[in-house]
Amino acid sequence: MADPAIVTRLGGGLRPRRAAAGRRTRTAYLFLTPFLVIFLIFVVFPAVYGLWISLHVWNPLLDDHPFVGLQNFFDLFTPGSLTFEDFWESMGATGIFVVASVPFLLAIPLGIAVLLNRRIKGGSVFRGIFFAPYVLGVAVVSVLWRYLLDPQLGVVNAVLGLLGLPSDIPWTVDVPWAWISLVGITVWWTLGLNTVILLAGLKGISPDLYEAASLDGAGAWRKFTSVTLPGLRPVMTFVVTVTLLASANMFGQSFLITQGGPGTQTRTAIMYIANQGLVQNQMGAATAMSYLLFAFLAIVSVVNFRLQRDNTK
Amino acid sequence: MKHPTLRAAAAVAILGLGVSLAACSSGSSSAASDSVRADAEYSGPAVEITFWNGWTGGAAPVLVPKLVAEFNDTHPDIKVKSNAMEWADIAQKMPLAIKAGKGPDVAVGHGDDVATYAAQGLLLKTDDVVDALGYKESDFPEGLMAAGQFDGDQYGVPWSVTPLGLYINKDVLAAAGLDPETVPTDAESYLAALDALKAAGVHGEWADGYVFTGTFEFESLLWQFGGDLFNEDVSEATFNSEAGVKALTWMTDLIEKGYSPANVAQDGNINALIGSETAFNWNGVWQTTNEALQSVSWTAVPVPQIGTEKAVWSSSTHWMFPANKNQDPDKSAAAATFVKWMNDNSADWASTGELPAQNTVREDPALLQNYPALAPFLEQLEYAHYETVSPGITNAMAEVTTGVNEAMLGKKSPKEALDDAAEKATQLLKQNKAQYGG
Amino acid sequence: MSTVTTPTATASDTRSAAPEPAAPARARNRRRRTPNVLTYVVLFLISFIIVVPLLWMLLTSFKTDFDAINSPASPWPNPVTTEAYGTLATGNLPILRWFANSVIAASAQTAIILVTASTAAYALARLEFRGKKIVFGAIVATLLVPGVVFLIPNYLIVDSFGWLDSLWAIIVPGAAGAFGVFFLRQFFISLPTEIEEAARVDGAGDFRIFWQIILPLSRPALATLAVLSFLTNWNDFIWPIYVLLSPENLTLQPGLSVLQGTYSTHFGIVMAGAVIASVPVLILFTLAQKQIVESVASSGVKG
Repeated sequence: MADPAIVTRLGGGLRPRRAAAGRRTRTAYLFLTPFLVIFLIFVVFPAVYGLWISLHVWNPLLDDHPFVGLQNFFDLFTPGSLTFEDFWESMGATGIFVVASVPFLLAIPLGIAVLLNRRIKGGSVFRGIFFAPYVLGVAVVSVLWRYLLDPQLGVVNAVLGLLGLPSDIPWTVDVPWAWISLVGITVWWTLGLNTVILLAGLKGISPDLYEAASLDGAGAWRKFTSVTLPGLRPVMTFVVTVTLLASANMFGQSFLITQGGPGTQTRTAIMYIANQGLVQNQMGAATAMSYLLFAFLAIVSVVNFRLQRDNTK
Repeated sequence: MKHPTLRAAAAVAILGLGVSLAACSSGSSSAASDSVRADAEYSGPAVEITFWNGWTGGAAPVLVPKLVAEFNDTHPDIKVKSNAMEWADIAQKMPLAIKAGKGPDVAVGHGDDVATYAAQGLLLKTDDVVDALGYKESDFPEGLMAAGQFDGDQYGVPWSVTPLGLYINKDVLAAAGLDPETVPTDAESYLAALDALKAAGVHGEWADGYVFTGTFEFESLLWQFGGDLFNEDVSEATFNSEAGVKALTWMTDLIEKGYSPANVAQDGNINALIGSETAFNWNGVWQTTNEALQSVSWTAVPVPQIGTEKAVWSSSTHWMFPANKNQDPDKSAAAATFVKWMNDNSADWASTGELPAQNTVREDPALLQNYPALAPFLEQLEYAHYETVSPGITNAMAEVTTGVNEAMLGKKSPKEALDDAAEKATQLLKQNKAQYGG
Repeated sequence: MSTVTTPTATASDTRSAAPEPAAPARARNRRRRTPNVLTYVVLFLISFIIVVPLLWMLLTSFKTDFDAINSPASPWPNPVTTEAYGTLATGNLPILRWFANSVIAASAQTAIILVTASTAAYALARLEFRGKKIVFGAIVATLLVPGVVFLIPNYLIVDSFGWLDSLWAIIVPGAAGAFGVFFLRQFFISLPTEIEEAARVDGAGDFRIFWQIILPLSRPALATLAVLSFLTNWNDFIWPIYVLLSPENLTLQPGLSVLQGTYSTHFGIVMAGAVIASVPVLILFTLAQKQIVESVASSGVKG
C-alpha cells in the first residue's frame, strides 16, 4: 500500500493529502505519547494543582482545606504575617548563595579548562580527578566536608592552629564563614562538571584565530578576551544558565552541613518551602512561595537571556 | 475531526479531577480515633509489625535488637521489625507516612508529640492498653500520664524519662588545681569553680545555642528563675519574661566573661568534655552510655541551682499506636502485646541511659545497684519539668531554639532574641489552635 | 589595533554547537604553547585539594571515636581499628542496599528518559502535526520552572498512586524532563535529511526511519543524555528525602543524611559510611571515566 507521505509528495489529490495530514498527526502523537503521559501527569498537572493548593489553607493531615483566595500570597508581602519574615530571609539566603557562588563556579572551571587546553601530559587523568567529586554525590561530599570543617574536630581548624592562625573559625556554625564553606564545598563538588564542558568548548575554537591574534601582536590576556571568551559564548551561555539555576536550587549542602544555621540564616528558599509544605504541613503557604520563587527566577532568566542576546550583537 | 490538543486538555482535566478527588477522599477514611485492642494474650493471625524509634545512641542500638529478638522468639505469631532513626527524622516523616498508610504499627515518641499526633488524627486510643497494663496516673511521675492525653482520651503509654545533669571531667578539675570531689550546687559555687578554671586557662563550660543542649540548659534556667515557656492554656509564649531574659543572659555571660568559647558547634560541648578541654557539661542522662566518655575520669551530679528555685529540664518518651490508613487491627493488637512485654521485661532498660518511667521499676534498689551512674538523675526527678503538652507545640518550641541560637552567637541581645522568638511562637500557637483545637 | 573577528553562533540559536573542531593537528600543535611548570603546579595543587580530603575520609574511617575526638590534626589512626565498619555492619543502616537502590532508580529513570525523550524529540524535529507549536511551547515553558514548584503537588500525586516509600516515586516523576527532549531535538534537527528522504522513497515508515536511521546516528547524543540523566538522578536529594521513608527503601543520598543524623559527631562511623558509599561509585567511574567525561563534555557543545 502506498505510503501516504509519498502520495502527498508526489502531489496527490486533496483527499489523500488531508488523510495524510491526519495520519501524520496520529503518528506524531503516537511518538509523543510515552513522553506526554508522564509529562502531563507529573509536570503539567502538578503545576496547575500547585496553584490550586496555594489558594487554600491546605494541611494534608486534616480533612478540611478552606479556600482563602490569594491570602497566602498576600501574607508573603505583609510584614508581621507568619511567613513574611522567614520567606524573605530564605530568598535572601538563596540570593546570597547565588551571587557568591556563581562567579567562582564559572571563573575557576574556566581557568582550569584553559590550563588543561594546553598540551598537557595526562590531561585526561586530571580531568577524571577533577570530575570525581561530582560522581560521588552531594551527600558524600557534604558529609565529608561537614567533618573536615568541624570547628573542633575537623582537620582544617587543626591545621590552621598548627600554622599559628586562629584555630576556632566557626566554619559550619556562623556567618559569614558558613557561606564561605557552602560556596567552597559547592565549587569543590562541581568544578569538574563545568571544567569538562568549558574545555570541550575551548577545543572547538579554531587555532587559526589565535594565530591571527598573535600576528596582530596580541598578548596572552588580549587573546583571552578577544578570541577565547567570544569563542566560548554559546557554551558559556549554557554553563551560566545551568549554574545559575543549580545555585538557586541549592538544598543538599545547606541541609547537611549547616542545617540552615546559624538560626535560619543559611536556610535557602527551597529548604524553607519544603519544610513549610512537608514538615510543618502548611502546603497552601508553601506552594504560594514556590510560585513566587518561580516568578523571580523567570525574571532572572529572561534578564540573563537578554544580556547574552545583546552581547552577541 | 478530533482535535489532538483538545483531547490532551480533556485528558489533563479528567486526570486532575480524578487525582484531586482521590486526594480529598483519602482524608475522610480516618474517622474518629479507634482504640487499640488489648488482648490478654495475642490471639490473632500471624503478623509482622514495624516499630519506629529514635534510639540510635548509647547502648540502645545493641539492647533494642536484643529485646526485639527475644520477643520474636517467644511469640511465634508476631514478628517485630525495629527501625531506629533520628528523632527529628521520625517527626519529619511519620505523620505523612501514617496518612499514606506507610507508617509503623507502633512507635515511640516524646511527650510533646503525643497530643500533636492525636490532634492530627494519627493515633489510636490506648485506654484499653493502659487498663490491661494496670497503669494509673500515680504509677508515674506527676503529669506524665496526662502528657499522653488529648481531648480527654489516652493516646500514649509512658515509657521513660530523660533529665539533664551536670557532667564533670575530674581530670580537668584536678589539672586546674581544684578538688575534683567538690561539686558546685548553686550559682556562687559554680561561678567560683568557673573562675578558678579561667585562671588556669580553661574554658569551664562550653555553652552552645543548639537544641542539644543549649535549649535544654536555657529551659532549666528559665524554670529556675521562676519563669515558664508558655501561659496556662498555651495560647501565648512567655519565655521572654524577665526570668527568661535572666536565664539567657546567664548563658551569654558565660561567653562574655570568658568561661566559654564563642561559636560552639553542635555537640561541641560533650566532645570538649571527652577531649578534656572543659570541665562541666550540662547534658542528658543518655550520655552516661557514651562510649568515648568512658575513657576519661568523669562523674555526673544534679545541675546546680543557679536561680531561685530547683528545676531541671527533662524529656519523656511514650509508646504510641499509629492509626495508619487501612490499619490492620490485628497488627495493632500485636503491637499492644509487644508494648506490654517490653514494660514487663524492661529491667535492663536503664542500661540505655534512660530512666524507666514506671515508679516501681525506677525505685527498685536493684536499679541503682546495677547502674549507680544514674543516681544524680533520679534525684532530680522530683523537680523536673517535662514537655509542654499542646497539639503542634513543636513548631513553637523550634522558635525557642532559634532565639537561643541567635543570642549565643551574639547576633541579638538576649532580650531581643527572646522577644522576636516569642512573637513568632505566639503566632504559631494561634495557628495551631486554629488548625488542631485543643 | 584591529579586532579579531570570531565566528560566533547567531544570537537566536545560543543553544547550538560551537564551531566544529576543524583545525588540523599540525596547526593545533603550533598554536598551543608548551605548558610551563606553573601550569603543572596549579593542576597538581588542585588535584591535591581534591584527592587529600578523600584520603582523609578513608583514614578517619579506621579511627576509634576517642581518637577522632582527640587528634583531629593527625590523619593516622592510632590505634587502627575497624570498629566503625563493625558498628555499621551490625547496625540497621543498609548502606549497600542504598547503593543498589540508587543504581536501580537511576538506571530505570535513564532508560525511560531515553525512550520518551527520543520519541518525543523525533516527532518535534521531523514530523509536522497539528498542535506542534503548542506542545513544543509547553515543553520549553517548563524549562524555566524550578523543581520546587512541583515538589508538593507531586508528593500528593505520588501518594495517591501509593508510590510513597517506593522506588517508583524516584523513577517515574522525573522521567519527563524538558531538557532531554530539547537536547535531542536540537541534535535530530542537525542531522542531514538525505538518508531519511531516501528511506522514505524506499517506502519506510516513520517508526522504521526512527529506529534504523535516526537512533543509530544519535549514539553520542544519546550517550550524553544517558550519562547526564543518570548523574542527575544519582545526585537527587530533596525529593528522595521526603518521599522515601523506611531505612531499607532509601537511596544513597538521603541514606547518608540519615547516617549522619544517626551517628552525628561519631565521625569515624560517618566516614566509614561515606567510604562504603564512595568505593563502588569510584570503581565504576574509573572504569568508564573517559566515556563519561567525554559524554558530559559534549553536552555543552552540542546542546
